[in-house]
Amino acid sequence: MAMASSNHETLLERLWRWVAQSWMFIAFFIGFFLFWELSISVFNVPLYILTPPSMIVIKASADLPRLFSYAYITGLETVLGYIVAIVIALPLGLAIAFSSILRKTIYPFFVMIEMVPKIAFAPLFISWLGFGLLPKVIIVFLVCFFPIVLNAILAFNSLSEELQRFSRSTGAGTWRTFVKIRLPAALPQCFVGFKYAGLNATVGAAIAEFIGSDEGLGFYIQITTGNMRPELAFAGIFFLTAIGLILFGIITLAERLLIPWHISVRRPQI
Amino acid sequence: MKSLIELKGVSKTYGAGVSAVHAFGPVSLDIAEGEFISFLGPSGCGKSTLMLMIAGLLEVSEGAIRLGGADVCGPQTDIGIMFQDNTLVPWRSVRGNVELQLEMRGISIESQRDHVTSLLKSVALEDFASRFPFELSGGMQQRAAFCQAMVHDPKIVLLDEPLGKLDAMTREHIRADLQRLWMKTRPTVVFVTHSIEEAVQLSSKVAVITPRPGRIETVINIDLPFPRDLAIKGSAEFTGHVRHIQEIFHGYGVI
Repeated sequence: MAMASSNHETLLERLWRWVAQSWMFIAFFIGFFLFWELSISVFNVPLYILTPPSMIVIKASADLPRLFSYAYITGLETVLGYIVAIVIALPLGLAIAFSSILRKTIYPFFVMIEMVPKIAFAPLFISWLGFGLLPKVIIVFLVCFFPIVLNAILAFNSLSEELQRFSRSTGAGTWRTFVKIRLPAALPQCFVGFKYAGLNATVGAAIAEFIGSDEGLGFYIQITTGNMRPELAFAGIFFLTAIGLILFGIITLAERLLIPWHISVRRPQI
Repeated sequence: MKSLIELKGVSKTYGAGVSAVHAFGPVSLDIAEGEFISFLGPSGCGKSTLMLMIAGLLEVSEGAIRLGGADVCGPQTDIGIMFQDNTLVPWRSVRGNVELQLEMRGISIESQRDHVTSLLKSVALEDFASRFPFELSGGMQQRAAFCQAMVHDPKIVLLDEPLGKLDAMTREHIRADLQRLWMKTRPTVVFVTHSIEEAVQLSSKVAVITPRPGRIETVINIDLPFPRDLAIKGSAEFTGHVRHIQEIFHGYGVI
């Protein structure tokens, strides 16, 4: 009976356990914001430099419509760039993994480009394509593309020798071997690329907007900072973070659904 | 009994020219149908290399291998193989892993449902059919891997140190399972090992392989009744065989 109760604890019990385990972090977190709140008045920090968190909440809630519409724009750039990167990088990674010609030509080229900070291309794309959505999507794409393609190549190239031999000994064709063994075996490493790219996607979108745009959260952060409204800049940063978190949450969810068996996903058994 | 596996002057050399490394052979041997033969030798002697060459997964440098009268050139698909590291995939359950062997061969798993169930039952895994490999102990994983290697009823089974990574007690237990399984259908088994006692307990014949480059020093008939239980393992004949093989390896400075 004692076993059963420990397996089926209520929500309240779980919450209490979480608080008991991480109260130090919670205390630190609350303390951090309290310190911030109080130190503004204690040290006489001018409000155009830094505002207390309470004021950020109040001022931002007055500007919510704009924040949401800009978050939509930046979110769209991020998601479009990310999806296009996956759609192109995954098949390309697969092709490079299995073609010795591509492995000798495109692969070293990609490894070389991986050394270049992709964000450095941003001003060029803005100057070529203007202020619209497209150059931002391209910059997010560039930031996401390389981690996905390089991890995909690694993923499809690293099937264990035993499983390769096993496949050959069954006489199965290329397609069947791919579907039943190579693809599922490659997914965990592919997700390493997906996650890394997901973390960088909003960075790409924000910087692209800093460089040239008239809408979006990056634009918002830049304009409000210029207007000495740091509380609104913080609100913009918060919304940008939220976009990143939602994207990362979706990727993590997909990982749980697609590779529940993998060690990075499964929880300890007992 | 007729020969099912024929090795004729088989040898393996890696590389070419002055940097060539002579890894194995030449070896000639006939293995009869229904035989359980062990390739017994120290690590690095090339016994796993020989197994891979029989499976057609590695090319012979010289000589020829015949299975059932046909030359081996390319992977053999009508045999069962178990490698040193098992080929259970982490994304499938125990049953799913056994069925993988069938699916890869395009055999309908519907028609084999009962067969898979009885196979799992024969190694006491019927209650673990829906478990995943990471939920099993090392010994259970190897028993599942046996089922995967045997589910398509191969006439020839190649086992490359399948018990090598298990602890001594589990090893002892699974040896008995393996022997029972073999006695049921009597496939021809090639068993690669470096454990003298294991080879003597399981085999009808033991091919003693010398240190690198491996050659067959001698083939010993183990004329003891199956199953070989504790009483037989304690017999003078059994210990005599073990002692004899120990002396051979002692002569080579291996032990």
